[in-house]
Amino acid sequence: MSHVQLSSSALERLVARRTFPLHRRTSVCRNLFGPVDHDELSREMKSSLREISERDQQRWNFNFETNTPLDGEYEWEKVTVDKTPTFYQDSVQTGRSRVPATPVKQRPSSESALPETPRMDVLERLAVPESSSTAPCPVEVNQENRTDKLNSGKQTHRQVPCVRRKRTAPADNTHITDFFVKRKRPADKKPADVSACHLSRSPTPLEQTPRKRIR
Amino acid sequence: MAHGASIQYEPVAEIGGGAYGTVYKARDTESGKFVALKSVRVQTDQNGLPISTVREVALLKRLEQFDHPNVVRLMDVCATQRSEQETKVTLVFEHVDQDLKTYLERAPAAGLSPDCIKDLMRQLLSGLAFLHSNRVMHRDLKPENILVTSQGQVKLADFGLARIYSCHMALTPVVVTLWYRPPEVLLQSSYATPVDIWSTACIFAEMYRRKPLFCGESEMDQLGKIFEVIGLPLDEEWPTDVKLSRKNFPPVTARPITDFVPEINEQGAKLLLEMLTFDPLKRVSALNALNHPYFQEEETLTQTKS
Repeated sequence: MSHVQLSSSALERLVARRTFPLHRRTSVCRNLFGPVDHDELSREMKSSLREISERDQQRWNFNFETNTPLDGEYEWEKVTVDKTPTFYQDSVQTGRSRVPATPVKQRPSSESALPETPRMDVLERLAVPESSSTAPCPVEVNQENRTDKLNSGKQTHRQVPCVRRKRTAPADNTHITDFFVKRKRPADKKPADVSACHLSRSPTPLEQTPRKRIR
Repeated sequence: MAHGASIQYEPVAEIGGGAYGTVYKARDTESGKFVALKSVRVQTDQNGLPISTVREVALLKRLEQFDHPNVVRLMDVCATQRSEQETKVTLVFEHVDQDLKTYLERAPAAGLSPDCIKDLMRQLLSGLAFLHSNRVMHRDLKPENILVTSQGQVKLADFGLARIYSCHMALTPVVVTLWYRPPEVLLQSSYATPVDIWSTACIFAEMYRRKPLFCGESEMDQLGKIFEVIGLPLDEEWPTDVKLSRKNFPPVTARPITDFVPEINEQGAKLLLEMLTFDPLKRVSALNALNHPYFQEEETLTQTKS
């Protein structure tokens, strides 16, 4: 169905990523920066990750990988949970309290244009276009099949003011109130345990789109 | 019976103990200050850390630059890849010895002084106003994640981490406290920063009472307990986007808040009621609460303890 005009290397990449068949290309695709050597990229990423880890380890004289203290400026000690505020406990316990809370707001909504405030906030802070403004399509999650949009300055421009506008709207003194009216969502669904499962999944298409901008 | 049970069930992990029972804490030998580690294990896929986690961390770091006195310091964020599927994110926080829960437990028998409560409340609301003005909501404010330093400085903790934790939530069948949860969350309506004001109100009352204000055992029970105090909201106040009907609740009327918080003074009671407003749109904001006459008056002058 989809008629594709891609360089063979780009095509290979897409095929390799198993994202290609889902996307129908409508405009010319320009490959401005040439093919990416994924192996090399991955090697570079790994080595810089290692560097960061080493820096962390040195800064805190703590081996985060093995969870063991090392000698240095910080005198590490293990304290039992009852001797320290529960907040410092590891995730498993601390996360519990949000079980019922998060699903409510992360519910995939038809009106994704108005996600709950903090998420939007973060998005804006990273100067990323709100995914909803581009009519999110799960296929576009991968940056590589979006080169058309990436490479077109127009698209970006159109999205930025959109973000700006949203930024000013609910800005000071948190008048989420605007959301309340518009954000009518079907009050279906619940059981915390069930919704907790897909809440980790459901925001993905929404939230992944902007990733390409960060890179 | 006990026999059968012990054969049938085998302890897998101890909650609040075992692997999660300890926290790493360190003293900076140069500054003398304490830090503590909080690890979060995050599931990853071929794309690495979920973008939501990255954003959350970016936001926390950004907030950190403001160095707000009523927000716990986040010193560093360290990620280590444990496997293809899992990355451990370790957050390095300043360590504060106690939270508000233990602070209230350790308070003298006579309770906290009205001045002390006012001071704590002012700090709490300042921290919240800061978060809200950055459009961050806490969503799970409770005495356990309000830290109080030995100098009486309030520091909000545990905000903004919801999405980092979210992947674990399915795995944690731990009972959640509903006591600080506002009606709109209990009703599964849409919600935003006013949720934190509700929780703060519950905490405000608890500072006087030294026991929680609404101790519900289920969402329904919690709502019932709330309405026993603030009265059943009017039909037109009931959110339209919820499944639960107002008819499920007995038509109780509001009772004087001093029945539940007898030690509170007049202005305090007024503020408390403004914060315990059913409709989140009408609930006072953190910033406006800080400008409430309660914070303007001298406690010693108006304190009328009978």
